[in-house]
Amino acid sequence: MRKLIYIVLFISGWGYAQITPEFEIGAKGVFSGNLILNSDESSAVSDFSDTQLLMGLQQKLYNDWRTQFVLGLQFPDANSNLGEVFYNNIFVRLEDKKNVVKVGRTLAQTNLNEFPTLRDDDAQRFTYALNPFSDGVNTERDQYANVLEYSRIFKQRLFVSVHGENFYDSREPDDFRLNSMGLTLMYRVPENQRWNRNVLQEIGLSFNNYFTDRPGYSNDFDASVKNVLFSTTANLKPDPINFIDFRFQAIQNFGWDEITQLDDYFDYTRTESTTLFGTLRYLKQKLERPHYQFSMGAGYKSLSNLQTDSDQLLFIANGFYRLGENFDIGLQYRYTENSGFTENLFGQNEHRVQLAIVYSFSKIFNKQFGDREDLLNLEHNYIK
Amino acid sequence: MDRRDFLGTGAVSSAGMLFFPGNLLATTAKEQNKQRLVQPLPYKMDGGWKEFELYIDIHTHEPAPGFEYHTLAFNDIIPGPEIRVNAGDKVRVRFTNRTDLNHTIHWHGLYVPWRMDGVPFVTQLPVMPKNEFIYEFVAEPEGTHFYHCHWGTLMHMQAGMFGSVIVENPDDSIKKRFPYEREYTLVYSSHDTNYIREEMNSMLERMKQRTFLMKEGRFTSEQWAVFDSKEQLMERMEKGYKPPYLTNRRTNSDLPQAQWFTVNGKSYPSTPYLFIKSGENIRIRLINAGAETHHLHMHGHDFWMVADDGVPIEHPWKRNTVPLTPGKTFDIIVEGKNRGIWTFHDHDTRKVTNNGLYPGGNLLALVYEDLPEEELIISKYSGNPMYNPNAGMTNMEGMESMEKDKMARMNKMMFGQDKLPKIALDE
Repeated sequence: MRKLIYIVLFISGWGYAQITPEFEIGAKGVFSGNLILNSDESSAVSDFSDTQLLMGLQQKLYNDWRTQFVLGLQFPDANSNLGEVFYNNIFVRLEDKKNVVKVGRTLAQTNLNEFPTLRDDDAQRFTYALNPFSDGVNTERDQYANVLEYSRIFKQRLFVSVHGENFYDSREPDDFRLNSMGLTLMYRVPENQRWNRNVLQEIGLSFNNYFTDRPGYSNDFDASVKNVLFSTTANLKPDPINFIDFRFQAIQNFGWDEITQLDDYFDYTRTESTTLFGTLRYLKQKLERPHYQFSMGAGYKSLSNLQTDSDQLLFIANGFYRLGENFDIGLQYRYTENSGFTENLFGQNEHRVQLAIVYSFSKIFNKQFGDREDLLNLEHNYIK
Repeated sequence: MDRRDFLGTGAVSSAGMLFFPGNLLATTAKEQNKQRLVQPLPYKMDGGWKEFELYIDIHTHEPAPGFEYHTLAFNDIIPGPEIRVNAGDKVRVRFTNRTDLNHTIHWHGLYVPWRMDGVPFVTQLPVMPKNEFIYEFVAEPEGTHFYHCHWGTLMHMQAGMFGSVIVENPDDSIKKRFPYEREYTLVYSSHDTNYIREEMNSMLERMKQRTFLMKEGRFTSEQWAVFDSKEQLMERMEKGYKPPYLTNRRTNSDLPQAQWFTVNGKSYPSTPYLFIKSGENIRIRLINAGAETHHLHMHGHDFWMVADDGVPIEHPWKRNTVPLTPGKTFDIIVEGKNRGIWTFHDHDTRKVTNNGLYPGGNLLALVYEDLPEEELIISKYSGNPMYNPNAGMTNMEGMESMEKDKMARMNKMMFGQDKLPKIALDE
């Protein structure tokens, strides 16, 4: 007991002397009315899925390193089997000028681009390399994983990442071992230099290897599901008022030859597939702030190894208008077309119209030091 | 009581205990001290004009060891170099803007022609990126003045865009009454380095966009937030422009809250020393180029108030504390009448901190050069028997059983060279 008291005193004394960290809060509220035609899913009066809250605490360490602790929660779809709240971000990040280490749960590097859709998962089957351990009941298990990542940054723009993940395994939910490894190369122009960058904003390539138990294969590499992602974002009109960009991502999934029909989601993620997805976006800015935005995109997925033609198609278009600081009103239309096995698995062709109000906010309080990608740090010497 | 209050209270009680570095009386210390004083700006003669050159650029500044931040600086130093001329001189300042931001120079306290006053959109257009502007005026009135940027003043001034202007009168009434050989210029300021960083980043980003639009001939009054007349502003408002502050809007909590306090751009322990000798008068020119008031207090002395905003005071009076408000200059005369090392500091002790920690900020010392070395020895001149390097602290609770060799090691650590002053960084 006495020892316990000492520990409490030690920690409380510590607490008194500590430096208050930078405190970042991010919030996104997505509230939509959904009209869904030709689908098993019912229309909804008020859908607030993908609403999320993110909190980050950041501090300088000794020896010029910085650390950040991030805790985020999200309200998933009602039928997601994830409960009322899903903790999508719980990670710690250590970084200096050229190195970043990330440990914890966050977005996996199975999507290299951010597409302009109302919700992050609106085109999920076309924009993510899907988790071959998931039963597909929700989208979060494809997006998020427990990750261990190391990135090395060359010349401020080239990111080379080695990463390992524990993706949620629906059949063995208590297995927290590493079940995926990958390598990502990403050339990325810093955020505040992108708008006037001629053509190329970012381009990247990623390889992911999932350690699946493939019947009849003992070698880990042969038994695994593998995929390669290619992604790029290009400025078609780099302009501070009328800005147009094009985003594209291709995913080649090297699946198992023996899967020639789809009985479940596992088969869907483990069979060979080629996925293409692209968006064209126009952003109008007024007095250096977003005014309105239109975008449209299309995706195509070919599952070439199946006995029956089961290709998928997606078309998505949306528009957002800024009502005031942080508030947007948006309208989105999405059409999905399934055929063959994918029609059995995901249902008929579907039309979905959504009218939404989106609130988004992100701010750092108690600022103490500059980011790596501040213009001052990028262009006028990096301050450790 | 929150943490800041506590530190403030601690500073009040311990300000008198502050110690300064050793070898203060050595020649090398005086040489090093020159770097902590304002630097003179040389000039060349062009006909009847004294011609000075000033440029502004982004600079990495280190107010105290181990802390750096990006800032704006005239001629790469903070404060900018001192312009020293005689009353009646014709002065020409060739100002070059090397940054991607707008700037001007305002001549604070000088009777310049109104088109030379440096107020953007009132007396001139801002000096655009990579452009030059030539300021010309006759130096008057005499006294202690300063110059500073008048564009984005809240940010640019605290970032470091200021410097002193001394207009000397060969027939100086102050010098006649208080004969002196040495004088010091102390330029005070306060800085919210986080605010500076965020503002500079957003301004640079904004300027990139604006430059792009200018190049394409699409830059408008609304984007610049500058209008030819009130009528034009009203007309634009009717068409949907909604001032105020559309592009730079911020909340109260985003306004600067200074956490670094400097004299001549430096915070303790990098602040300058004021050297004096017994029987000597020194003149100190105090300038507040920041946005906070500094209640400056001299230990062990009263000083003469001899000039207010550069204007000589006909009947000087004595005091030991002076409130130096923003934009103010005072000249004081210190008479060397009390040999020793004396602190001269802000009695608003929140401002003798560096980023919230005492000691720091604008703490500095008046140092008598004729102070005998032996008076610096701790054990010799202290009346308290505790200050004896061999005495130890055996009467202190918990120290009774301390072994002799450990006691010796402890004394060695605590007394060091048995000499004042020391650098104290944590109390």
